[in-house]
Amino acid sequence: MANMVKLKIDGKEINAQEGMTLIDAAELGGIHIPNLCYIKGMKGIGACRLCMVDIEGSKTPMIACTTKVKEGMNVNTQSERVRENRKFVIDLILSMHPLDCMTCTKAGVCNLQNYAYDFEIKDSTFTRKKFGFAIDEGNPFVKRDPDYCVLCARCVRVCKEQGTNVLEFLGRGVGSKVATANDKPLEESGCTFCGSCIDACPVNAILEGERWRRGREWDYTKIKSVCLNCGNGCDIDVSTKDGEVVKINAGAEKGSAERYICAIGRYGFDSVISDARITYPLKRVGNALKEVSWDEALKIAAEKLKSAGKDTGFISTANILNQDAFIFGKLASEAVKTKNVDATVSLYADEDSMKYSDSADMDEADVFVVAGLNPSQWERVTPALDAVIRKRIQRGAKLITINADDTRLASAANVSIKGDEAAALGQIAKALIAKGAKAPKEMEGALQAVNASEDAEKAAAMLTEAKSPVIFTAPSLFNASKNISLLINTKVVAVPFEANARGVVAMGLITEGKTYKEMVNGGVKALYTVGEIPLSARPKGVDFLIVQNSHMTELARQADLVLPSAMPLESEGTIINYLGKVKQAAKTVEPFGESRQHKDIFTAISKEMGSPIKESKVKAAEAKAKPKFSPFEKKQGLDINPLEFTESINRSVIYSSRLLWLKEREKAAV
Amino acid sequence: MLSETVLKEIEEIKAKYPSARSALLPALYVAQREFGWQSEKAMQAVAQALNLPEAEVRGTATFYSMYKHKPMGRHLIQLCTNVSCMILGAERLVDFLKNRYGLTQNGTTADGRFSLVIMECIGGCDMAPAMLLNTDFYGDLTEEKIGEILGGYK
Repeated sequence: MANMVKLKIDGKEINAQEGMTLIDAAELGGIHIPNLCYIKGMKGIGACRLCMVDIEGSKTPMIACTTKVKEGMNVNTQSERVRENRKFVIDLILSMHPLDCMTCTKAGVCNLQNYAYDFEIKDSTFTRKKFGFAIDEGNPFVKRDPDYCVLCARCVRVCKEQGTNVLEFLGRGVGSKVATANDKPLEESGCTFCGSCIDACPVNAILEGERWRRGREWDYTKIKSVCLNCGNGCDIDVSTKDGEVVKINAGAEKGSAERYICAIGRYGFDSVISDARITYPLKRVGNALKEVSWDEALKIAAEKLKSAGKDTGFISTANILNQDAFIFGKLASEAVKTKNVDATVSLYADEDSMKYSDSADMDEADVFVVAGLNPSQWERVTPALDAVIRKRIQRGAKLITINADDTRLASAANVSIKGDEAAALGQIAKALIAKGAKAPKEMEGALQAVNASEDAEKAAAMLTEAKSPVIFTAPSLFNASKNISLLINTKVVAVPFEANARGVVAMGLITEGKTYKEMVNGGVKALYTVGEIPLSARPKGVDFLIVQNSHMTELARQADLVLPSAMPLESEGTIINYLGKVKQAAKTVEPFGESRQHKDIFTAISKEMGSPIKESKVKAAEAKAKPKFSPFEKKQGLDINPLEFTESINRSVIYSSRLLWLKEREKAAV
Repeated sequence: MLSETVLKEIEEIKAKYPSARSALLPALYVAQREFGWQSEKAMQAVAQALNLPEAEVRGTATFYSMYKHKPMGRHLIQLCTNVSCMILGAERLVDFLKNRYGLTQNGTTADGRFSLVIMECIGGCDMAPAMLLNTDFYGDLTEEKIGEILGGYK
């Protein structure tokens, strides 16, 4: 624990951690110090000059976002002098800011508007300036209107911190503006359209595309939830209006490096209301799918599952919620009595890697190892992992990458080892032992002939000095990575490609009968698929195919029975994300059409079958195994193409939202 | 793009600093020498050589007014017309450059040989009127003397 410091702000006693800035300390006491440029979690830059405060004993006002707390400090955030200073700054900024708050989308959440209100400034006392900069709105995601910009640098800094480096100031002084490298539109500047700049902008200079006249902040209902589109499972803030999702923002706590979402998480919600949604159950009649009632659909499902019995296969994606997965497992084991129940997790991860991965805290970790993974914001493969690690590096953490191929993340690493990953882990272990780490006998024996490379030595040195290191590993390298935790105190986390992979495995969706691969290769008579399964052709040998999904897919068209399910944004439950955090998914809008949440469908079928499943509180099995040495080897059979897989489980989301624009552009560029 | 020799020169500059970012300003000067001004290509070349984001290179280049932000002549005349120089006849030199070479403030001669920038004090008051020609300093200027000096820059 860091030392605590006692100080007074506006007469209020505050206990703050040593090293904290005045602006954060004030917040502890519920005191807001006005600012336009401060971003919690990042270093203050003192650019906007609004956060000036008076400190007893100091001749001049000080900047609260860069001044650290000191024992006995007496701070006044509301003195006559600092209020005058602030008013002057707002007055200056307003002289070059449009005064069209009555139609401005950001009205209500615009910091400048709020401060102008506080200081009772109707119009600037200075000569009005207008630059007439061009608006950048050639893409459907981010609209940039530099005429509203207050040059606070928040967007530039968040873009830089996460390593995308698209935005930067152009020129200097009053005439400067935020622009891309050659003042080109975003879509020609390597932008990933994650929208971090939207979350950062205090005014109306950067905004979601297609937001015009779709409501302002006070019209929205705000709900915290979690994104299920990839292995990261990021926190999101969902805004809804009239029962529809209008926008999504990053939802992690302010100040956390995890406050990031990608374009899929931010804009994929378009797909909630789309022509591709399945709105009612469908059954096959000859060559066509015909609408049927839920009653009839459930009856058919129950009958077919009952008759196929043991020879039924159940497969699901891992972006369903724990509650859904739990009941799914019960439907298979208790109602249908089959052991063939498996999830897409088995394509890329083994049970142990998901069960025995540690929980990790991104904001605490000071050394990251990324082994056998290629997270990428640009390809949108576990993009948050890439972004958050880059942010943590900017905040002082270190990175070691180990990969057989080139990765973009490697260029941000302090040590990057290119070559066989398992062997590299072995070398690091050897170097750690040489530094005095105590190893089990078998490990020492296995590493006898190994020579640590210079890079492995460097990595080992870094790990030895680390306070809370985290190893992110491909599931296939989990056992090899876990060996390191026998030598030093480190977290080891296998990173899956689906949001609730850890949860789905904890809920028991790991087969004891036929595997996913066996089932889709004709191993079962009846097949029940749940979610956007990465499969486009009906498996051979399957007499009856039930497809349960939110959108019409290639596979659904070939099904005998199609059951419409709710999307994650329409479902309620929990997930366990890749960091081992249990996260709450909220029902932000009602399920579209007649679609129902997965678990409700399973329960209804079980009732129809005469063996109703009781909904009980789900509990993940406690998974604590004593770590033991396993050889430094890569597990075979878990290789998938992460990019193709991620796209395939998100196919409906991408193809029925504005993300299609991006997809087509990327295709055209190739 | 930049030649091997120039890239090597940038490498040598880079070696003087703990991080590549610190070498950005001198590297921009090198690129400016090669491309004549801070063109899009020049900035791209620097971004590549230092492995820095293009946006950052451009942001930095546009911040500093002493880089050439448009194509200029081979030789840059920076003539001072501030108090000391003005009293001692700098205005006459401005007229001279205009009449003899057709040079005006921020202008370039038709043959691309000279560009003129009028400066506010270059710290040569003791030798006023004074000018910088590229990086060479000249003081105690007269019309005759300036003509002679310029003759030496082809």
